[in-house]
Amino acid sequence: MEIKKTWSNIITNQSHWVSFVLLLVVATIVNPSFVSWSNLSNLFTQGAIIGFCSMGMSLVISAGMIDLSTGSVVALIAGLCVNVLNTTHSILLCLLFCIVGGIIVGLINGVLVTKGKIAPFIVTLAAMSAWRSVINQLGQGGPFSVDKTMYTSFRNIAAGKVFGIPNLMIYLIIISLITSVIMNKTKFGTYVYAVGSNENAARLSGINVDKIKNLIFTYAGLMYGLAAFLLASRLTSIQAASAGTGYEMNAIAAVAIGGTAMEGGRGKIIGTFLGILILRIITTVLIMANVPPFLNGLVQGIIIIIAVLAQTKRKK
Amino acid sequence: MVLQLKKISKNFDAVQALDEVDFHIGKGEIHGLLGENGAGKTTLMNILAGTFPPNKGTIIIDGKVIEKMTPKKAMNLKIRFIHQELNLCNDLKVYQNMFLGEELYTKYHFVDEKSEIIRAQKVLDSMKSHIKATDKVESLATADKQLVEIAKSLLFNSELIIMDEPTTALNNTEIEELFDIMRTLQKSGVSFIYISHKMPEIFEICNKYTVLRDGKFIASGDIKDIDVHKATNLLIGHSLLEIDEHFIKKSHQGPEVFLSVKGLSGKGFQDISFDVHKGEVLIVTGLQGSGCAELAMSLFGAGAIKEGTIMVKGQLMKNNNIKDAMKNGIGMIPKNRKERGILPDLSIKDNMSLAYYTVKHHKLFIDEKEEDERFFRQQEKMNIKVGSQNNVITSLSGGNQQKVIFGKWFELDSDVMIMDNPTQGIDVGSKFSIYEIIADLAKSGKALIVFTNEYPEIHRIADNILVLYKGFINGRLSRSEMSEIAIMEYSTGTRGEK
Repeated sequence: MEIKKTWSNIITNQSHWVSFVLLLVVATIVNPSFVSWSNLSNLFTQGAIIGFCSMGMSLVISAGMIDLSTGSVVALIAGLCVNVLNTTHSILLCLLFCIVGGIIVGLINGVLVTKGKIAPFIVTLAAMSAWRSVINQLGQGGPFSVDKTMYTSFRNIAAGKVFGIPNLMIYLIIISLITSVIMNKTKFGTYVYAVGSNENAARLSGINVDKIKNLIFTYAGLMYGLAAFLLASRLTSIQAASAGTGYEMNAIAAVAIGGTAMEGGRGKIIGTFLGILILRIITTVLIMANVPPFLNGLVQGIIIIIAVLAQTKRKK
Repeated sequence: MVLQLKKISKNFDAVQALDEVDFHIGKGEIHGLLGENGAGKTTLMNILAGTFPPNKGTIIIDGKVIEKMTPKKAMNLKIRFIHQELNLCNDLKVYQNMFLGEELYTKYHFVDEKSEIIRAQKVLDSMKSHIKATDKVESLATADKQLVEIAKSLLFNSELIIMDEPTTALNNTEIEELFDIMRTLQKSGVSFIYISHKMPEIFEICNKYTVLRDGKFIASGDIKDIDVHKATNLLIGHSLLEIDEHFIKKSHQGPEVFLSVKGLSGKGFQDISFDVHKGEVLIVTGLQGSGCAELAMSLFGAGAIKEGTIMVKGQLMKNNNIKDAMKNGIGMIPKNRKERGILPDLSIKDNMSLAYYTVKHHKLFIDEKEEDERFFRQQEKMNIKVGSQNNVITSLSGGNQQKVIFGKWFELDSDVMIMDNPTQGIDVGSKFSIYEIIADLAKSGKALIVFTNEYPEIHRIADNILVLYKGFINGRLSRSEMSEIAIMEYSTGTRGEK
């Protein structure tokens, strides 16, 4: 009886671990050579940029909100940062631009939600449309391409390796650790869950709910800015119309798979981290199984629904 | 219409809301339904109007037994229920609201707006109101919205109109106008069931009465046979929680004023002034809609203040916000634990640490050990029963959840504690342990303001009592002057300073 209880506990509370291991098994069955260093490190490299976005999305959803502007914000900042790089020839200034730009764009979302009292869904939907339009206009249809002089050194940031470990893998692990510490070890983290759990009670405990929401969107913006920096480095050429499209979908999917409650209040950063990897494994398995790439979106949509269904079932 | 309710019983899970209640009303009667909060008045009316079915009992109208009452059926039987909280769509016009679900149609099956407007206006004019049928409901004052609700019930020649606290938003002239309308309709044979906490109104407009208490039928008869004092006695009866007459409460009240409120006005309350001393337990009581709930929130900086000042230990509270109130040393146990008190997804430990974090925690990281210590300290103090402090708070019983919320504020060591219905929804045993906590707090030199309506509770913990009526302080009683009758009479406006 006790053992049974513990098992069902593990399956419900650690579902992201369970599905991660299950998927690895499935992947290995489909392709026995799946579990190899090159394959596993590939998962990280391909998941890292979405991973940064998912970290930001994790906070937003834990507080019971949503952010649809992810992809457009990434495209906006990635495109512009290429221009900054080409004019200043300084990678540091380019990084600084991405950080400050991300923070400002995120804060705009936050202020519209808190001071404007507009639902996050609407604010970020509008931002998604607005920022994409801005970067399209600035790019005039053409790509933002890194100059020849900066090409190698800039590209090396994302594409490089340290002792055979891809840089992107290291970045993703570091940012996941930092976000995890913020959410588990600071009072701000507790406040985020508190706001998502019961806004009224949080306010009556003296929490400045508006300030917390602004900080959440600012952190999300910062993550998108860093993702944009890495995307620009990885691709060295940003297509205004297509860069970052669907990132919000991927990020929301990763957060949902990771076990964060869509209505807020509950969630773990480690879950989101595994959620990113799970999404990548699924994509890889689909490719190995010769599923047409056009159907990727369909699979992702189904996965989000299944993940959320599993959550609501658990609640009952 | 002659209506009879026979042996109606209704329970919600374990709570017996109604226990074999009988009720009778004849043609052209205005029947006052009396009872304290939670006596079962609204439940009985909801059964009559078909909102939900009874577990047992029968509804008989004009000699016919009505099986399976539904809201639609009730409407067809010309029964209208005007709920306490307004049920109007703000974005629609007055006439659209009045005809909602009962639209008139042209021969092409479009809505016949012209006829609707004419008929609606006729009714509104007959009520001597200045409301236009084409006004948007949103633009109306609360009193006018109330009149629209009443107009809606007149539109379809209702034979029985149920009014649940219809006068809460009305001023005296408007109440008189409402009564005029009711008397006119009464002459044409319409019956009313009138629910109100305000005794003067009951005695002015009603000719019959029925009293409910704790879900049971208590008495019924002609209003002319009783007076307000008799009615109040019937209302109170003997409460579930026995009052221990021999209980002697020690007073710990000191001379030092901890909280001083002067001329405070806000939404729902006006011109409130009082002092609370070190070691004093001040009770603020009043019936629903008397302004108690709003006052509690405003004292804590969580509700708007129009006029007046709050001083904490001689210091004027400048900003009217929660954090400022907390920094000044005010703590708050809100009412409705589920909605305002607990954070259901967070652990017991986190729930307890939250208030401390917002005011006193200035370090970068949280120290799990410190949090555990904080919890164990409060656990020992109040004997909180938990499996582990890392479990979610919803794993606890109501009483233990409330203790966690108490602990959250004790960690701040606030000098003034506001408690809004601190024993709401918890079992009797836990209630007593909360009374003990309150007594200990007073002994340790805190000032306490407790908002409650339960007399046994007041009897147990009060040093002084304020009774609110229509947003004003209608009575001030010291412990030696207090009695259940006096409090009820001040609450219902039977007695009063005004």
